Amino acid sequence: MRAFFVIVAFIVGTLSGLGLTYLASARSNGFGAVTVGAWSVWPRSGTADADPYARAAFARAGELPLERADGLLFEAASTDNGTPLDGRCATRIEGRMPQARYWTLTVYDARGRLIDNPAERYAFNSTEIVWRQDGSFLVTAAPRARAGNWLPTGGRDRIVLVIRLYDAPIGIASRTGEPLEMPRVTQAECPA
Amino acid sequence: MKIDPLPVAVGLVLGGLVHLTTVLAMPRLALEDAHARIERVGPANEVHLIPSPTPFEAVLPRLDPSFAHAVCRYDLRDEPLRVTIPLASDYMSVSFYTRHGMPFYALNDRAAAQRVIDLQLMTPDQRAALPRDEEITAADRLIVESPSEEGIVLVRAFVREKGLQDAIEARLREAKCGPVG
Repeated sequence: MRAFFVIVAFIVGTLSGLGLTYLASARSNGFGAVTVGAWSVWPRSGTADADPYARAAFARAGELPLERADGLLFEAASTDNGTPLDGRCATRIEGRMPQARYWTLTVYDARGRLIDNPAERYAFNSTEIVWRQDGSFLVTAAPRARAGNWLPTGGRDRIVLVIRLYDAPIGIASRTGEPLEMPRVTQAECPA
Repeated sequence: MKIDPLPVAVGLVLGGLVHLTTVLAMPRLALEDAHARIERVGPANEVHLIPSPTPFEAVLPRLDPSFAHAVCRYDLRDEPLRVTIPLASDYMSVSFYTRHGMPFYALNDRAAAQRVIDLQLMTPDQRAALPRDEEITAADRLIVESPSEEGIVLVRAFVREKGLQDAIEARLREAKCGPVG
């Protein structure tokens, strides 16, 4: 009976412990996320103060996070209303960026890889994008080519958008200060 | 079948401990961490260009495809290193990570007085062992203290259009990471 007790406790402990770690390190950027509309940013992940979950996830992925003094990374996997981003739809990223010397906007598939396309267009940056007269912009991530700033999605069913701001003087003290202005993310023309 | 809740409860407490331990140990245990990936690019204490990420291949995950990258995997056990990086015309940054991928310092082209970032990388012990008079001349020299003996220097250079990629990569090839003397 005693051996049975030990074996059950051991099995439950090992499975639940390793399972939790597996899940937590697979798709986690740690704690302290700040969300603005569809966008999430982890201001501490690029610092020596990153929490153990962020460090575990970076180590497992083999990623070297963007240093806070270098830039800030924002990620969106859904629209402003929380609908998951679908690469078969036309996803509009529209508005203004926070102040930064440069920014880039990249589209990834659900596994964090770039999406193959003949134009080798994986991203737009602030110097090459076509701006509107009022200083705002519109980028459309869609499966088929279109006029303007088009990011090919290859018709993937899930996509993830990443904005990187470089040399950005903004402070992301959560809950205080003025709210950040990030581009709106909406989705249209989804296949029925 | 009736399951005795006690061993399960004890198991879950154990599970919590296992979880916390493995999360904390992950940076040391991960086999495919950034250091291992960079090890395959070339030997330590040399600068190596990292090819731009493509949909099929990436040396490191989630590097910005709008940038050119170079790395130096360093080992300070023998001596401090001097890192010199000639600047390109656009944005450039140099980030420092410990052996297990923790970022501890970064600077960008604005922090560089001339058209080159020139710094010395050493452990706190090596810095403490610097001769006094050198400490004075060190005032106009940038010293970066590495909390670990091994680590990674990652150079990011912005490529505003694809046509400039080759020129910027050629500039990165001139970067150096080697003994001070």
